[in-house]
Amino acid sequence: MEQDPHLVLEGTLLGAYAIRASVAYIYIRGEFVHGTRVLERAVAEAYAANYAGANVLGSGWSCDLIVHRGAGAYICGEETALMSSLEGDRGYPRLKPPFPAASGVWKCPTTINNVETVANIPFIVERGAAWFSSVGKPPKNTGPKLYCLSGHVKRPGVYEAPLGLPMRELIEELGGGMLHTDRPLKAVIPGGSSVPVLRADECDLDLDFDSLMAKGTMLGSAGIMVMDSSVCMVAAMARIAHFYHHESCGQCTPCREGCGWLERILNRIETGLGLPSDLDLLLSVSDNIMGNTICALGDAAAMPTISFVKKFEEEFRHHIEHKTCLTGTLAMQGVR
Amino acid sequence: MPRVTIDGFEMDVAPGTTILQACLQRGHEIPHYCYHDGLSIAGNCRMCLVDVEKQPKLVIGCYTPVAEGMVVHTENDKVKNARSAMMEFFLINHPLDCPICDQAGECRLQDYAVTHGTGKSRYTEPKLALAKAVDIGPHVTLDQERCIQCSRCIRFCDEVTKTGELGFFDRGERSQIGIFPGRSLDNAYSGNVVDLCPVGALTLKEFRFQTRVWYLRNTSTICAGCARGCNVVVGVGQQPTLMTTSGQLDDRIKRIVPRVNADVNDWWICDEGRLSYLREQGATRLVPAMPYDAAVAKAGAILAAAARAGTLGAILSPRLVCEDVFAWKTALEAFGGGPMRVHPLRRGEDDGLLIRADKGANSTGAGWILGQSFGATAPFKARTLLVVGDTLDPADTFVPEPGSAAEIVYVGPFVTPASRAAAVSIPAASWSEADGTFVSFEGRAQRVRRCHLPLGQDARPGWRIALDVLHAAKLDAPAWTSADDVLAAIAAKVPELEGVTPAAMGLLGVPARGTVGA
Repeated sequence: MEQDPHLVLEGTLLGAYAIRASVAYIYIRGEFVHGTRVLERAVAEAYAANYAGANVLGSGWSCDLIVHRGAGAYICGEETALMSSLEGDRGYPRLKPPFPAASGVWKCPTTINNVETVANIPFIVERGAAWFSSVGKPPKNTGPKLYCLSGHVKRPGVYEAPLGLPMRELIEELGGGMLHTDRPLKAVIPGGSSVPVLRADECDLDLDFDSLMAKGTMLGSAGIMVMDSSVCMVAAMARIAHFYHHESCGQCTPCREGCGWLERILNRIETGLGLPSDLDLLLSVSDNIMGNTICALGDAAAMPTISFVKKFEEEFRHHIEHKTCLTGTLAMQGVR
Repeated sequence: MPRVTIDGFEMDVAPGTTILQACLQRGHEIPHYCYHDGLSIAGNCRMCLVDVEKQPKLVIGCYTPVAEGMVVHTENDKVKNARSAMMEFFLINHPLDCPICDQAGECRLQDYAVTHGTGKSRYTEPKLALAKAVDIGPHVTLDQERCIQCSRCIRFCDEVTKTGELGFFDRGERSQIGIFPGRSLDNAYSGNVVDLCPVGALTLKEFRFQTRVWYLRNTSTICAGCARGCNVVVGVGQQPTLMTTSGQLDDRIKRIVPRVNADVNDWWICDEGRLSYLREQGATRLVPAMPYDAAVAKAGAILAAAARAGTLGAILSPRLVCEDVFAWKTALEAFGGGPMRVHPLRRGEDDGLLIRADKGANSTGAGWILGQSFGATAPFKARTLLVVGDTLDPADTFVPEPGSAAEIVYVGPFVTPASRAAAVSIPAASWSEADGTFVSFEGRAQRVRRCHLPLGQDARPGWRIALDVLHAAKLDAPAWTSADDVLAAIAAKVPELEGVTPAAMGLLGVPARGTVGA
């Protein structure tokens, strides 16, 4: 979006042409001011070249291209919340069905895709579906993927590589290895903060949908967070819970009430005020949120909680029993 | 019709019916907060989660339509666990202030906490502290801490009144119901959000802290505010500790709430009707100037003399029940007759929802009995005028051409210009103090019930006073002993009301014959 906006616009217009859509919206999170400016300039250029607007390139087909800024809400990445926000309402996810393809924005049939997906379209059109299917791990995990590598690696960043890239290769080669040589890998969150975490001993795998599914987690957004031995898993989980507490839209009960509860339990464990029963409580509250909400944000808060508690139970117990942190780092940071 | 199995019961349900509705048809309620028959589906409370076989997750009963062959479990362990989980979530930030909450006793949170909760909370953190007693409108007070964000009130203002005063503000756990800047919850139906609120977040200022709901004696009756005839439940205070006089209960109306009638008012009533009891309680009751026997004797003598002289006329309030109108018509005919008419009572405009400009709750019924179509208000002059009933409108003198009648006999509950000018005035029971029948502007005959003993000194039902006046004048009087007797006579005499009986009307009323083909 920021570096090659016309790739996104080209994919958008190709997709719109395929379904003969008369309008395409690019919904961009409110904080991405720079991205918005870049996109808007590109859209103006597209209109000037008649790639968008009335009678595109004399084809008789017209399509408007509109960049819409959100007001800064994680939930507006959920497709139905995005539509509500686009329509000018609160960014509340909608009950499904109807699905967007049947009744979407302003009750019109709508297809919603990620920018990454859309950016693939020009290449597929140019090189053909067979080429796309040959990249990565055929038959099911094919195509290029943008891996967003962050955390304790030497060179964090966005890397494009085929699906099925071994995680070790991503960390060691593309990422330049661990940030501190004396701090070994401890855990990786492979698909954005909402997916179950992997312990270091589970990290010898390929980064594709099926391999991660087999390990009980997901590739998700391919936002890969690398954590070394200095990380307190209780603090990390508390920070993740803080995020979901802050971003829950508040529409439905389990997520609205549960996300705050999870964060408070995690905070008290982190600050040494946890009770032995708190681990069961975390699992139980997570379980009560899971699957009972309108959208997946509740699950997104519950899944990491369950995996952190189960996979790093030792650390959580240490916090509760000894009121100190196993990592010996900045423990007892106080309630965030 | 799809055949579904719910908790082992096979039933055929109309297509499009939701699981929750199908259960209600069977008389089984799936617990719910945000769902309401009269509003769109929000699906946000998650209380009605049920287990549908072959579905990976629990689904919400309020939104999921039944499908052929569907097998639903609403009471298995999975569902029960989810319910008690939802209850726990609801209660973690809900204050435990039931002892001072007006909703206590009719609170869904209380009810479901008992039936579906675990009885104890695992939440040990401080609860959110939010604003209490927020003034959001002339009649409604908001308690943010008690709100469970079901959005019923928001949807009511968006969908029913279409005034849109309310919305959600902020997000997540911090999200709160609120009033938009510069707005006030002042639409003509604002009180309904209080009924809709399943918890004590929205309370009615006029009912707040007045009594506990379990002290109310509730009577199903009909609102007398206008010609719509909204079905209501009147709650009368019965709290012994609020005795007004030693040994006497606080026998006054504490509130009026709507009663569902899909043919009349759906689930709603207007604020004016809801608060109409305050106007009645604020009006000055007529105090007898002489003993009852003497008053009816004097009235009888005046009416008899005027009838003989051919100068008698009568004007009746359109708020009188059919029984009173018919009894006074019978009495006047026994005296020798004279022109009678219903006083027109109009204010404002029909609003397209419930409120009618015709404020006569029984204009139609009175008109039928007197053989006068509503609005036929040809002036008549009578030297002696019998005035019956009230208008409760200070601007309405309720006497045609003031000063035109030399002599007035007044029968009614309140002090009015007519009663002040009257040669004799006899206190009568008001709307909430006697049984009777109203006919709505749509021709629906509905039962008005006595909700409490007459508050006016020596006040009696109007039809009984008519009989006593006849007795006092030594004229033949029908042997009626109850409002039902009068109604039987009406049904026999007035073709439009033929077949109207208490049984036929039941709780929801019956379209009278007079409306057939109308």
